[in-house]
Amino acid sequence: MSILSVTGAEKRYGSINALAGTSFEVEAGEFYCLLGPSAAGKTTTLRAIAGLETLDAGRVVFDGQDMTGQPVQGRDMAMVFQTFALYPHLTARQNLEYPLREAGHDAGEIRQRVGEIGELLRIAHTLDRKPSTMSGGEQQRLAIGRALIRRPKLLLLDEPLTNLDAKLRHDTRAEFKRLHRELGMTIVFATPDQLEALTMGERIAVINEGWIVQIGTPRELYAAPADRFVGTLVGAPTMNLLPAAGSDGKVALPFGEIGNGPWSKTLADFPAETELLFGFRPHDIRLAGPEAGPALRVDAKVHLTEPLGDITVLDLEAGDAVFKMVLPEEEAVQYRVGDRVAVEINPDKTLLFARDTGAAIR
Amino acid sequence: MAWQSKQREIGTAGWGWAIFAGIIAFIYFFPVLWIILTAFKTNADILAVPPKFFFTPTLENFVSVFSRSYIKGQAAVDTGFDRFFFNSIFIAGTSVLLALVIGTLAAYGFSRYPLPGNDTYLFIILTTRMLPPIIVIIPIFIMFRIAGLSGTYPGIILLYTAFNLPFTIWMMKSFFDELSPDVEDAARLDGSSEKRLFFKVCFPQIIAGLAATAVFGLILTWNEFIFALLLTGVETRTVPVAMAQTIGGDIGVRWGLLAAIETLFLIPVIIVVFVLQKHLLRGVTFGTIKR
Repeated sequence: MSILSVTGAEKRYGSINALAGTSFEVEAGEFYCLLGPSAAGKTTTLRAIAGLETLDAGRVVFDGQDMTGQPVQGRDMAMVFQTFALYPHLTARQNLEYPLREAGHDAGEIRQRVGEIGELLRIAHTLDRKPSTMSGGEQQRLAIGRALIRRPKLLLLDEPLTNLDAKLRHDTRAEFKRLHRELGMTIVFATPDQLEALTMGERIAVINEGWIVQIGTPRELYAAPADRFVGTLVGAPTMNLLPAAGSDGKVALPFGEIGNGPWSKTLADFPAETELLFGFRPHDIRLAGPEAGPALRVDAKVHLTEPLGDITVLDLEAGDAVFKMVLPEEEAVQYRVGDRVAVEINPDKTLLFARDTGAAIR
Repeated sequence: MAWQSKQREIGTAGWGWAIFAGIIAFIYFFPVLWIILTAFKTNADILAVPPKFFFTPTLENFVSVFSRSYIKGQAAVDTGFDRFFFNSIFIAGTSVLLALVIGTLAAYGFSRYPLPGNDTYLFIILTTRMLPPIIVIIPIFIMFRIAGLSGTYPGIILLYTAFNLPFTIWMMKSFFDELSPDVEDAARLDGSSEKRLFFKVCFPQIIAGLAATAVFGLILTWNEFIFALLLTGVETRTVPVAMAQTIGGDIGVRWGLLAAIETLFLIPVIIVVFVLQKHLLRGVTFGTIKR
């Protein structure tokens, strides 16, 4: 059952189209991610759901009620802002109490809930301090606490990890999953970081220039991106994209010809010499074995190595194309810049996009 | 780092600089000190040549401020300075308070609900302060005559309120502009009505700014002379005007009396600044520190 549905949401600021007909549905209890680069319309979408922005067109239905044009106050949803937006003149405790006081809860109830949230988010020791004296992580947990304390049906999170340092971000990702599991709340999480979306989201809506480009599970987005934008947004290191030409169900690459991909059948119907982009992920390239298999064998030269600790990213050069490959550290140590290396590209996991529209061909 | 080693802790500047600063401060405050000393001198001590720094203090000047009457023409006229002090405090206090209430609400509106041509309105408001008082005094004088406001409390309070409003609006708007709009959105989501979020969320954040604005307004109004001279009557006269009128009179300038009035006149300003100094510093530096 969907608890939230956004239909044909449109919003312009002057000549800029922040939302150009955005539609999606969120299931009750789901951890839903909105993934997109900055200025893609993520924040506007969240603000429209919360009622902080008035849509030019489209509808927001929440919990069976049409929320379009309804006041912000009294919606059974809470939001965590990118800037945390804590009340700077109030202590942490008063920040937590604020939504409950506004809702008219009695003092005993307020005390009990503040205690619970303090425990849950491990901020009990900071409750008598002002936000400005708290660390970034504490401020962020306080902001989440203030959102959770009302026990809303829907929690909107607007890039809550962007203002944290890398270590803290990692811990907080796990924290969000824990909270989601423990509280069973519906969460809409906006983020520009594909890693956050992949690790936390049960479903992800990829948004770009006010459009939802694709909706799917992390696996679907990774394995079958709808277009070149999603393909390069999801996955790290970024997918390799090489210009290619297609004829007879086969693709001509700068270093050879590859066929038998998941796209072969469709491509066969295309005119000869169709301009394409050939995509393959750095993780899907293997070192070539002794005997020739169905995979495309490429003799390449090591152009650059980027050791990342457990893995190493190799930049390989073959037939004036450069692409990345990921190797476990122990296998990569033997390669120096300038060394020759034979690799295989398995056609099963390769992707094909039309060069003009960027749409996936499969 | 090189620049860090240059930083000194407070108190380690050395005695040479401390004495130098003390001398500069003494030169600056000497006139004030001289007025205060004069207020405690007898007439003979005041006029003594060379000037006396050590003398037997007397309170007779202060007593005169409130109780001595003087002869004007044939009639004895009460100096009535208690009345004038009340007028000054009442008029300055009320008008600054009014300006703060109206100005803060207006500033919030300008900051949060900008109209088309918002900046133009703000500029027009500011232009009312660009003209020197002496230029606008004649039309205002005529308007007050026609409206029957001359010499009344509402008249002068209204004028000072209008006088303080542009400054208040500009100051308060800059404070509201500094506040994060996200915080207000958070309050809306937490269920606060627009009115409650103003009073419970925005207002407590700008108290320092309010204090700074109040101090500037009070000092400006407290010292104002020209409007008060022309638009207050016997009943509503403020201290600066009354002081000026004390200089004249049939028995020459009474320096001791004048110095006593001035000393008393300084006290409220010092109290206000002292009480609000914590906010004052935060108020004038608001927005200069990057968050």
